[in-house]
Amino acid sequence: MPDFERFVETMATPLPVTARINTLKTDRDRLLSRLEEAEVPFRPFTWHPLGLKLNVEKPGNLVENLMGHIHVQEEISMASPVVLDPIPGERVLDLCAAPGSKTTQIASMMENRGLLVANDPANSRVASLRSNCERAGAINVAVTRYDGRRFPSTKFDRVLVDAPCTGQGMARKDLTVLDRWSLKRSLGLQRLQRGLLERATDLVKSGGTIVYSTCTFAPEENEAVVSWVAERVPQVSLEEVSIPGLENSPGLTEWDGSRFGDEMETCARYYPHQNDTGGFFVAKLIKG
Amino acid sequence: MSQSSLKDKSPFSPLDRAEVAELMESRFGIPPATFDIVSFYRKGRNVWAFSLPEIPDLRCESVGLRFLSVRGKVPKPTTYALQLFGQFATKNYVDLSADEAEKFMAGDRQMLEADLENGYVVVSYRGGVLGCGLYARGELVSQLPKERRIMNEGAKTCSSDGDLE
Repeated sequence: MPDFERFVETMATPLPVTARINTLKTDRDRLLSRLEEAEVPFRPFTWHPLGLKLNVEKPGNLVENLMGHIHVQEEISMASPVVLDPIPGERVLDLCAAPGSKTTQIASMMENRGLLVANDPANSRVASLRSNCERAGAINVAVTRYDGRRFPSTKFDRVLVDAPCTGQGMARKDLTVLDRWSLKRSLGLQRLQRGLLERATDLVKSGGTIVYSTCTFAPEENEAVVSWVAERVPQVSLEEVSIPGLENSPGLTEWDGSRFGDEMETCARYYPHQNDTGGFFVAKLIKG
Repeated sequence: MSQSSLKDKSPFSPLDRAEVAELMESRFGIPPATFDIVSFYRKGRNVWAFSLPEIPDLRCESVGLRFLSVRGKVPKPTTYALQLFGQFATKNYVDLSADEAEKFMAGDRQMLEADLENGYVVVSYRGGVLGCGLYARGELVSQLPKERRIMNEGAKTCSSDGDLE
């Protein structure tokens, strides 16, 4: 990891409050002038035109939040839909969708056209997923509740696997994630993550894109998952993840005695001190 | 169970788009072309708006957004339907002052002099739609679902169990 001291310092500071402009209900100019008139202090992201840092304590209490014109969302979590790059009219699957921040971002990139299937097996999480989709005004979303590893056979242009993970990257929001981490937990989740990503390679059509992301640093849940699937499914190849304006480190080629292969350098590791965000991992796979 | 047999059991039955669009035009003056990319379905006592003319071949918990409730005498637009399409309304639309909007967001009722017919109206603040109001005898009653309301203190944030209106 580059600059470990600064990493430790950053981890001790709280995450900035950030939100995304919901273009299904408003546009950037209208929203920014509303905030200016209401004297809500904000600063647009440098890398994403729809992202905002908000200098407010309770963004949930903003009128613009009630209207669904903004969606409170952590900055770095906006990265995986950007890499997925969905196009209006396509068929897209968000395999682990709840609570729906990335789902609603994808719906807005799709301009409410085509089909976005938002899947999550947990009944308790589907309620917040549905609520967030309705609030965003997403009319192209169908919510399903399958075990992602056994999602029924049907083809999609793009699949996002934002996998359940140990969440170390969210430690700036909730320090207890670090206490709860153990290698055993990482390895337990790894089995699930591999199953989800492998299923995604069946569900994407030839020429389609799969994006795998987590909010954890553990290589067991990141490179070890992607390299395992890439080896088992020869039709998929990795593509470089690089978002202009966002600093990242390459994926690891080896860890703790395991070789993952040089192609893992195409993956992106976003460390909190690089962009003042949470931690994140993103891989992009293309099915040949 | 085969996929097609699941589909046969879909609880969503398609509705004529023109019929729903006409309802929105007659009440709110929303141009019918606004709904050209929308397909409507009925499930239970609700009308749903969805992007596609066919329900996907999957076991769907929900498709699109709940658009109208048809349980009362008059169809009632949902908060989210009006937040999305209410900006195109040309009648039965009211833009509130800051004080009035505050009451509306808190879920209160208030006397209001406005050029509105009795019934459901689009309520906005500084040009952005807040949701649905019920106007009768000079009084505007907020229809915002409880979990969407903003009180001055201790209001809730964005996670909730959905639109329970």
